[in-house]
Amino acid sequence: MATQKLLLPYHFTQLDQKALNFVINTFGKLENIAVTVFNAYTPIPEIETDAFSVTSKLKGSLGYLSQKINENEALLDEVKDKLIEGGFSEDRVNCNFRPRKRDIASEIIDLATSDKFDIIVLNRKHARVTRFFSGSISHKVVMTLKDVTVCIVS
Amino acid sequence: MPTEEKIDIDLFKVVFKAMAQSNNLEIMANHLTQLLVATLEIKGCTIFAINPETEELEVLASFGLSMSYVHKGPILKGKSIGAALKGKPIVIRDINKTDRLQYPEDAKQEGIGAIVSIPIKFYDSVIGALRLYHQDVWDISEKDVDSLSVLTRNIGLAMAFTRMLKTVKKIRYAIDDVESLW
Repeated sequence: MATQKLLLPYHFTQLDQKALNFVINTFGKLENIAVTVFNAYTPIPEIETDAFSVTSKLKGSLGYLSQKINENEALLDEVKDKLIEGGFSEDRVNCNFRPRKRDIASEIIDLATSDKFDIIVLNRKHARVTRFFSGSISHKVVMTLKDVTVCIVS
Repeated sequence: MPTEEKIDIDLFKVVFKAMAQSNNLEIMANHLTQLLVATLEIKGCTIFAINPETEELEVLASFGLSMSYVHKGPILKGKSIGAALKGKPIVIRDINKTDRLQYPEDAKQEGIGAIVSIPIKFYDSVIGALRLYHQDVWDISEKDVDSLSVLTRNIGLAMAFTRMLKTVKKIRYAIDDVESLW
């Protein structure tokens, strides 16, 4: 049986945890599912200035910013470990941790299209005011992608 | 000894340039939290939007804090550093000497020593808050608080602009749908 590719966007919230449990409980025992855990982080902004006072002030602090981003990458590896504990073999779990250039929904759509994923597991929180500003990720993904099964954990 | 001022015009230019480079509010807000953490040499920074229905503060962007602290539970407008949500900045220079925190034990566990909360306003309405978390007791200068208030005025404008842009786009998509049917 051909391997089905499952994409699990993960941003370390409780709902992401719920989606992770759903993936383990539903797909963990199936041998033809390969999971990619995906996190698109905001890269450190480019500092463009000639002011020495600014560069000297920020020089040390930018290292702290990079360290914090690396910590999130390590946390994503912990999610991979949980999937392996949940029944997935190591060769069926990948992590994709990359800088984002656009909104999260577009990043998911781009990856799902380029890497031809069959299943996407998203989550959805009801009545969030921040959706006014960032838009609904699940809505945009469902409306844009075709020939992909999208599971929404709510 | 006077408190050191950390935000000068050169730093302000860097922050505003980074804000202006992004056409996405989420990315802009994330860059802003990163730059404020670096500039002020603090532990973390979060930008909240207020949900007027539930009266909860919802996280729009955050940097430097652990995920368990950021998502520790609902942050209620009435219980969490309330005065900032009435439109005035609040400085808690030592979290061990205040009863204003909704989750004081979580803050201590996170290693937070001080919190500064600046309201985000659009016209006269408070629509969110910018919070800065220092690892130690923190005597932030009044001028830096003023500078941050100017910054939050701009965040408020960006939030309102994004909200309107999203609404206009939704209307456009709805009209496109109807037009394609007829």
